[in-house]
Amino acid sequence: MLGFVEEILLLLHNEASGDLVDLPHAVFTLVVGGAALMDLAIHNRIDTDLDHLTVVDRTPLGDDILDDALGRIAKLEAASGGQIDITEALYEAAAYAEIYRPLALKRLIARGILKEENGRHLWVFRSRRYPLIDNTEQQEVRTRLRQILLSDEIPDPRDIVLICLVDACALMRFVLSDAELTATVARVQQLRKMDLIGQAVTKSASETEAIIRFAATTL
Amino acid sequence: MEIAREWDGDVVIARLGGRLDSSAAPDAEEGLLVALGGVPPRVAIDMTGLSYISSAGLRVLLVIAKKVQQQQGKVALFGLAPNVREVFTVSGFDTIFLIAADRAAALAAVR
Repeated sequence: MLGFVEEILLLLHNEASGDLVDLPHAVFTLVVGGAALMDLAIHNRIDTDLDHLTVVDRTPLGDDILDDALGRIAKLEAASGGQIDITEALYEAAAYAEIYRPLALKRLIARGILKEENGRHLWVFRSRRYPLIDNTEQQEVRTRLRQILLSDEIPDPRDIVLICLVDACALMRFVLSDAELTATVARVQQLRKMDLIGQAVTKSASETEAIIRFAATTL
Repeated sequence: MEIAREWDGDVVIARLGGRLDSSAAPDAEEGLLVALGGVPPRVAIDMTGLSYISSAGLRVLLVIAKKVQQQQGKVALFGLAPNVREVFTVSGFDTIFLIAADRAAALAAVR
């Protein structure tokens, strides 16, 4: 099973171009950091309530991304003398998203899902692309999310994490048709609330996008 | 965490107590799955003695709700302390679960 960092990188992948879909870098880092935290929560390494995030088990998982994130959150917690705010933990994990991205891409290549292509842009600049060579996982996740969003089925905790991440990246348009997007607004809002780390990701991502929009209109 | 359970006719009443967090979650999930009873399950979860619930605890209840839905059963919660109720409201879990005013209302809701 893929980790959430790999899942979201895969879902962010444009099948045709081999590049990631356009997303503000700050939002991308929040989503990757949030994916790592939500994976740690599913693996019972951290727990959250309305106010705090707590490290409950420091045992490594044998996963370089998650173990790195766990170590950094544990250090942050120790430095603060106890529990930490969920958003504070999210920004800490997000700060290392650019380290986690190549690790996750390497895993997707090793699994035969992506391949790496080196080329030149404008015959001068080196560029690297990651075309999709097996879209089974990507399609399965989209199908699963459609099934949950278009019904009253109770999701499992993994479904909720994926819905939070996909929504924070504004990727629902690749999962649902325009008519379905309109019809499922309330359902998406209901489900994305159900993970407290996911709530922090959605809130931080939308605040970041609002700042970017404000800057773009005032400069 | 120990899950006390009793029957009221065809309804199982499962009683949670203490803190439902990551350390209690595995036992709570196992205990509640055992407590589901017959098919379709009709379950009222008494949360009167529950003083705290974390995300790990919410995930346990989600797994139970899903299981009950898959078996075309019914589940209701009652006796939520204000702080626990707040967690349900903020997380939207109050839209997944039927939260009854008291035991009698919970039993009536799942019958």
